[in-house]
Amino acid sequence: MGSTGETLRNLLTLAWLLPLIGFLVEIYALCWTHRLSKAPAYLAVGCIAAGFVCSFTALMTWGVQTDWVVFQSTHHDEHHEGDHHGEQHHADEHDAETAHVAEPAKTDEHHKHAEKAVASAPADALAATHADHAAEHGDGHSEEHAAKPTVFAGTFYNLGSFGPLKISLDWYIDSLTLVMFTMVTFIATCIHIFAMGYMQDELTEDYVDHEVHLANHEHFHRPGRFYRFFSFLSLFCFSMLGLVLAGNIFQVFIFWELVGVCSYLLIGFYVERKSASTAANKAFIMNRVGDFGFLIGLMIIWTSLGTFQFFDSVDAEGHTSQVGLFHLIRGTTGEMQLSADGQQVLLQNEVGELLTAGENLRSIPYWLLVTAGLGIFAGCIGKSAQFPLQTWLPDAMEGPTPVSALVHSATMVAAGVYLAGRFYPVFTPEVLLVIAYIGCITLFLAATIAVVATDIKKVLAYSTISQLGYMMLGIGVGGWGAGLFHLVTHAFFKSLLFLCSGSVIAGCHHEQDMRKMGGLWKKMPITAATMLVGVIAIAGLAIPGSQAVLGETFAFSGFHSKDAIVATALAYTKLNAVHGLLFLAPLVTAGITAFYMFRLWFMTFAGAPQDEHVYDHAHENPAVMTGPLLVLSLLAATCAIGGESGPLYKLLALSEAVPAGASTAPSSPVTIVLPTHGQVHAVHATAGKFALLAAGLGTLVAYLLYCRKALNPAEIGRQFSGVYGFLVDKWRFDELYDFLFVKPAHSVGRWCQGFDKVVLDGVLHGASSLVMLVSTWDRWFDERMIDGLVNLVGQVTGQAGRSLRVVQTGHLRQYVMWIAVGVVVLFAALFTALPK
Amino acid sequence: MFSTLLNQILSDSTGQPFGSLQLFGPELTLSAGIVLMLLARLCGIDRRLPTHWIALWMTFIAFSLGVFQFVEFSRSDLGTVEYFSGLMVFDRFSALFRLGLLLFLIFTITLTVISGIPDRDDAPDFYSLLMGASVGMLLMGGANHLLMLFLGVEMSSVPSYAMVGFLKGRKASSEAALKFVVYGAGAAGVMLYGISLIAGLLGTAEFPQIAIQLQTLFAGESAALSNPAIRLLMLGILMLLVGFAFKLSVVPFHFWTPDVFQGASAEVGGFLSVASKSAAFVLLVRTVLAFVTPASSADLGQIYLTLGLGIGVIAAITATFGNLAAYSQTNMKRLLAYSTIAHSGYMLMAIAALIVLRAGLEPGSTGYDDRCARAVEGLLYYLAVYFFMNLGAFAITALIRNETFSEEIEDYAGLGFQAPILAIGMGMCLFSLVGLPPLGGFVGKLFIFAAVYDSGFVHPLMWGILAIGGLNTVFSLFYYIRVMKTMYLQERPATARALRVPAWSYSGAFVLILTLPLLLPLGTAVQLVSGVAKRAAMSLFAGL
Repeated sequence: MGSTGETLRNLLTLAWLLPLIGFLVEIYALCWTHRLSKAPAYLAVGCIAAGFVCSFTALMTWGVQTDWVVFQSTHHDEHHEGDHHGEQHHADEHDAETAHVAEPAKTDEHHKHAEKAVASAPADALAATHADHAAEHGDGHSEEHAAKPTVFAGTFYNLGSFGPLKISLDWYIDSLTLVMFTMVTFIATCIHIFAMGYMQDELTEDYVDHEVHLANHEHFHRPGRFYRFFSFLSLFCFSMLGLVLAGNIFQVFIFWELVGVCSYLLIGFYVERKSASTAANKAFIMNRVGDFGFLIGLMIIWTSLGTFQFFDSVDAEGHTSQVGLFHLIRGTTGEMQLSADGQQVLLQNEVGELLTAGENLRSIPYWLLVTAGLGIFAGCIGKSAQFPLQTWLPDAMEGPTPVSALVHSATMVAAGVYLAGRFYPVFTPEVLLVIAYIGCITLFLAATIAVVATDIKKVLAYSTISQLGYMMLGIGVGGWGAGLFHLVTHAFFKSLLFLCSGSVIAGCHHEQDMRKMGGLWKKMPITAATMLVGVIAIAGLAIPGSQAVLGETFAFSGFHSKDAIVATALAYTKLNAVHGLLFLAPLVTAGITAFYMFRLWFMTFAGAPQDEHVYDHAHENPAVMTGPLLVLSLLAATCAIGGESGPLYKLLALSEAVPAGASTAPSSPVTIVLPTHGQVHAVHATAGKFALLAAGLGTLVAYLLYCRKALNPAEIGRQFSGVYGFLVDKWRFDELYDFLFVKPAHSVGRWCQGFDKVVLDGVLHGASSLVMLVSTWDRWFDERMIDGLVNLVGQVTGQAGRSLRVVQTGHLRQYVMWIAVGVVVLFAALFTALPK
Repeated sequence: MFSTLLNQILSDSTGQPFGSLQLFGPELTLSAGIVLMLLARLCGIDRRLPTHWIALWMTFIAFSLGVFQFVEFSRSDLGTVEYFSGLMVFDRFSALFRLGLLLFLIFTITLTVISGIPDRDDAPDFYSLLMGASVGMLLMGGANHLLMLFLGVEMSSVPSYAMVGFLKGRKASSEAALKFVVYGAGAAGVMLYGISLIAGLLGTAEFPQIAIQLQTLFAGESAALSNPAIRLLMLGILMLLVGFAFKLSVVPFHFWTPDVFQGASAEVGGFLSVASKSAAFVLLVRTVLAFVTPASSADLGQIYLTLGLGIGVIAAITATFGNLAAYSQTNMKRLLAYSTIAHSGYMLMAIAALIVLRAGLEPGSTGYDDRCARAVEGLLYYLAVYFFMNLGAFAITALIRNETFSEEIEDYAGLGFQAPILAIGMGMCLFSLVGLPPLGGFVGKLFIFAAVYDSGFVHPLMWGILAIGGLNTVFSLFYYIRVMKTMYLQERPATARALRVPAWSYSGAFVLILTLPLLLPLGTAVQLVSGVAKRAAMSLFAGL
């Protein structure tokens, strides 16, 4: 199985590094090619497509290796007709599985590879889940699935050791990693292909940027940046894949920042536009605010737990040298062990025993773990544009539309949710509650803003924020699988929606205002149709009663994932009645979502053309752009097929490190009970009906308002101008932040400037004047006294020299006389000096 | 009669492995060279074979003999060898001096060949005089008898007089020669009188005997001034020293120097300033060591101490006078003449230090011998440096004169860019004369000042002299720098004659060979020369 680990590692590493190679070649290759060459695009597409092939192969390899254990362990069978079949199947499987148990145990003996002893934490947790599950249902057979490792991890390279502390480049592969890899590479491939068409106008030596107005009323001219766009895209993919593959939280942070840099580069792609550069800065700075929390979390983990690694590292002898984070906190059962007073979280080792340091048990203060979790989550808030750091994402629409698609689906914002999911075991119930509420606030807030937005991309941007809120909410209420399920489905339909909007924008010659569109479905039927698929998917519409006919509800992907989240939320609020809002808000928002998405579609494609000029020039785009739309729409419709019994959800759920309901912490300050899977299933049908009802209502209202024109939306806007203005101003968050942070920062800056000018410069000027004064005086002293003295010495000696010259008369007679005089004088002097 | 004398001399074996004539080889070779040159002119060979080749070859043979003797003697482990029945002495000290002088002679002859100062007709006369004076100086270096002392001084002086006046038909030259002769004659007279007084008083003229005679003379008697014998002795020593003072151009017996150096050609000036001064200093060291011995009585020691301090004071005055008087000079040769006076002052400080150290010893003690040896070592090192820097300065003056026909400093304007090799060489020599590191002059001065500092422990007045010596270094900076300033900071007038002295000409190579040793080894690899000087100096002190 080590070989499996190696195979997976090699495949994913290849998928990860290919975009980097692409980036390097593209960014440096201008000397081989020219600005008009499409080669960079082909290279980028080739790299990412090859990455997709690798990722998909890895997924398949993993599946074959684990005997598709994921599809045998049916958690939710009991709700379907196949219930008994499932159980029977399960039982049949029993013998086969036990046969497998011995084999890995044997091979383990021979195995010295790092990835071998691999934190089978999640696997164990899975076992625990089964045990839990089994106990719940009075089911006898439970342990067998633990035998097959589904998680592989290891170390690429040791960056540095600081005593017992190590920083390394690790890899960690479980089903989540594989799904993320496949999803990211696939969507990125589609977006790359789409961008080849969309960025066509950059293939020029003289690009005229109509958005930039120069002082002389001309537009800004610059060389095209086709190659640069694709090199940044490649770097973006590389960073995201690195983040997903990372085996420790520090490595995650490295790629986290790389993702941030790439988004900065791409959002600010039209750097000459002030709005673009400001948006890039805003995105970058907002993310830094979140990363501040991330860093605090990192430091706490580093100092208190002594490792960044998710998994247990194993030394050459096969012993665990360092217990990974997940085992430290959750042990093998997925339960935190608290000290008697509940103030300490006791650390556990890879077999679930409590760790000791000398006499005492090793532990971390509970509040510190909460702080670490909140810190890491702060990073997620920034990256995933959650309340209160959500304002950067709409502004990020300044980037080219393919970038928006990538940022909003597969890469940037997905990273935040991914990390929240990946780091789930370390979050305490309190942290989860915070996550839930943050998600709840965000999803509602963003949806309301989307209702009044008129820019087609802005609507999508707010819908993204809202949907990310759903994901966070799902994770927060204990629906780990539901949250990540939604992440993946959302990635598909949101990338589809964005590409469709890009197609519309490109087709309408960069017109983004929906009020000027309308009736476009005649002009661009493919775009309209594919976008309708996306809209239905995100709205969560389904055909009621289809379950009875088809065995399951017929719906596009968004319905299933949102359904899962709403169901979890309902189960949660049933257990914790105080937090009823956590169910109501997503339910209401489901309706709002349907409303604004259909509003978008109706305003754009249906009805009568609003602007003849735009309409007349609108056209369908070439196949290079519509192709990806078709492919994505297919996946947006079907990727979640089967809902929570479908392959996608099961794949993801296999990686759930902590069993649902395990995080109950009665002795902690807040009493929270997380729902178990069973409890969720119990309310699933109810929640689904509610959600469908809400979505249907929203759709109906949108149809009435924007298609049938039963009421004039503008009239309603005027009637509720207060609320309307408030929403148009995006809840005035920008103003609030402007007032709270920007203005004070400016005034502090001005004050500092004043201080600098008045006090510091004053001191400096004073000092320099003083120095001038001293040096003036010094110069005077130097010139008069020192030079005077030297000159005096010089004059005196010169004078002495000249006077000595007088003695040298040149008269021989005198010279000879001097001999006599000299002798006499010397003799006299000697006789005077000699001792008497 | 003659043959018996000859046999006697030939068979004079001094009881040592080295015979008298053997030891006298270099001097004999030089003398043979003189005879050869004169014969060559008689036979008209000098028409075909330029005389300077004969001079150069004979000097080179003499030098080779000197090297051979030096090496052989160094191996033989002998301390001192007296020869010619005690008239002359041979030790490492004189062997080293002989080597240095003969090397210097080679350099001087080469210089005259390059600068072409004696024309073809006069060459035999000039080189005869040059080599004759050199023989005299060699005698000075090995003198072991007051008579030899006088003989050596005169033998080196008399040809010098003629060489000074060698530029025939030039009034200044003839005048200088006349002044030199008369002044030299006067000084010689005084010195001879002094010698006769000493010899008469002590009943001996041999150096090794002098100390013993003094011992017996003042045994049991007060050696104070009240003793007429002391007065007589002092008078004699003083007059003897006047003779030295003339040779060394020490104030107040320096008057001849500026006039003579200005009048004589630069080549002769260089020869006189280096060779005759070195010889005089070597002889002075010998004389001092003969008179001032630790075996002398305490009273005598006191008197010598006073004498040493007096010489120190004279040295300080000389250095100061030379430097100050050089300030207002406009002629390069005259400036160098005063610089020579100043440097005599510095070197005389080493002699003063030697006397003070030696006189301050307890009778019979050898405690200060190593420090005395260090004073002599310093003097030798200084002489070695002086060899190069002073000859270099004079040689470059001569080379410039050959190009510009002027020895006035103001005519040196802009030379730094027209003839860089000459200007750089001159700069090296002048900075070395100032005593700036990393040039040899600095190291030499350091040695001498160290010796003076040592002697300060015997009598603190020496520290005052040391301070004046240091101060003089500063004084000297001004006028040396002035020359450099003229060469580098002033424009060469458009009317002035252009110079072309490339570095790869004979002149350039000669300047390089002459000035580079100032930097290496004399300036930086000090041990190389100081080790030899130290061994030579130590051979003078039996205690070591």
